[in-house]
Formats: sequence, C-alpha cells, structure tokens
Amino acid sequence: MTEADARLAALFAGDAPPARDPDFSTAVMERLARRRWLEDLALLAGLSVVGGAALWGLWPALQPTLAALSGALAPAAALLAAALWGAALLGGRPAGALGAES
Amino acid sequence: MKLEGLDESLVAAAQAGSTEAFSRLVERHQQAVRAFLRRACGDWGLADDLAQETFLAAWSRIGRLKRGASVRAWLCGIAYRKHLTALRASFRSRARDGAYEAARTQAAGGRLDDRLTLERVLAALPPDQRACVALCLAAEFSHAEAAEALGLPLGTVKSHVTRGRARLLEALGVQDDRG
Repeated sequence: MTEADARLAALFAGDAPPARDPDFSTAVMERLARRRWLEDLALLAGLSVVGGAALWGLWPALQPTLAALSGALAPAAALLAAALWGAALLGGRPAGALGAES
Repeated sequence: MKLEGLDESLVAAAQAGSTEAFSRLVERHQQAVRAFLRRACGDWGLADDLAQETFLAAWSRIGRLKRGASVRAWLCGIAYRKHLTALRASFRSRARDGAYEAARTQAAGGRLDDRLTLERVLAALPPDQRACVALCLAAEFSHAEAAEALGLPLGTVKSHVTRGRARLLEALGVQDDRG
C-alpha cells in the first residue's frame, strides 16, 4: 500500500462502526421476528378465510354425512385438534408445519 | 474453521430456516455493510436504517445465495440497491439524528478538516463512483468483488476507482505516489 493509500484508508477508518454492535444486531433480529409474526398471522388469516368459505360452500353436501358419522369421528377429531395445538405450543411455525417455509 | 467456511455453514443453516445462524451472519457483516452505506450515502442515521433494511431483505432472499458466493459482496450489493432506491425517493431529506452527528465529530478527532474534505469530495461524486470508492478504497474489496456487488462492468469499476482516488488525493493535497 502506498503512503497516499494508507492516508486515505486512515481517514476512511473514522467512518467504520464497531466490529461488534449488539444493539444493531438485536434491532435487526427484532424487526425480523416482527415480520415473521405478521407473515404467520397473514397465513393463518388467509387459511381461516379459505377454510371458512370452503366449509360454507360444501356444508349442504357435508352436513348429512357428518351428522351420520359424528359419533364415530368425535374422538379422532379431538385427537387431531390436540395434536395441532401441541405442535403450535412446542414452537412449530404454521408455515413450517404446512411445508411452506424456505 | 476458515472464515469463508464459517460463512458457508451459517448461510446453509439460515437457508434451512435458522434465525440463530442468520443472527450470527448479521453480527459478522454488520460492520462492512454499515461502513459501506455510511460512505455511500454520507448520512449515518439513514445508513443504519438502510443497513437494517438490507439484512431484512437478505433474510427473504437468502435461499437464492449461491454456495461459495461472497456473503459480504452479496450484502453490499443489496445495500447499494437499497441506497439507490432511497436516493430516487429523495429519502435523504430525512432529519439527521443529533446524537449520530455528535459521535461522528468525536470520532473524527484532530483530523476534522481532512474528514470534512473527504466527505465533501465523496458527496460530489456520482453515486456509482462513490460506491466503487467506498468498496475498493475504504473496504479493501477487489475490483472484481466490487463489480459483482454493484452489478457494474469490471472496467467501469476500475475507472471509477482511479478517478475517485485522484479526486480525493487532489482535494486532500496528498501527492499521488503511485506513479
């Protein structure tokens, strides 16, 4: 490095932020967590709307069948709901559980 | 483990969805990205905002980062595009943070005149030339690495760096000892 380049490098060094800056890293990760939460919320809201609309549309066809099978299906439905609730409680993200996460 | 190898393993983990690995990438590269943006846009507060935006965009795009690519150059490329977008939107009129300015003056120490001259000359350079100077003269990027990061032809980067260096040295009154 020439003397002129060394002088430029020394002047530029005055702009450099610290090599470690926990405040900056924390701010980035907080924004990232907030963004992921909003994405999860949007995904769940979208799924709820689509599921609700599908159920509303199919209800006339489903209703007689469900009424006939409700006695037998109730335990399995309860188990499925408990499993989904458990997975959510243990930290699985909705997008990951649905295989939609990169 | 070599530094590049560490980056590669962190990128692979982040691509698999690990926010912890991504957090370590942020820690490792925040200095380079923020320093580049400070020199490219001249406003430290804005530079740090853009650096945060850069890392958020990097998280969304990390799946596209090729194996073996320079993480530092990739991040600086995203930062550069964020900076250009902010320039176009005239985001630079944002009020400056007094605390940043105070810290900046303190960091400049006894060479305030030279620092101010440097900033004045940098501010007068076109954005792409300024970015080339910030990467190659201040951050020790190779010309090829800077060309990759900024999406500019290699020859353009070389000429930007040569011209920018000459203008800086002339303004600072430093003899160019390169010949």
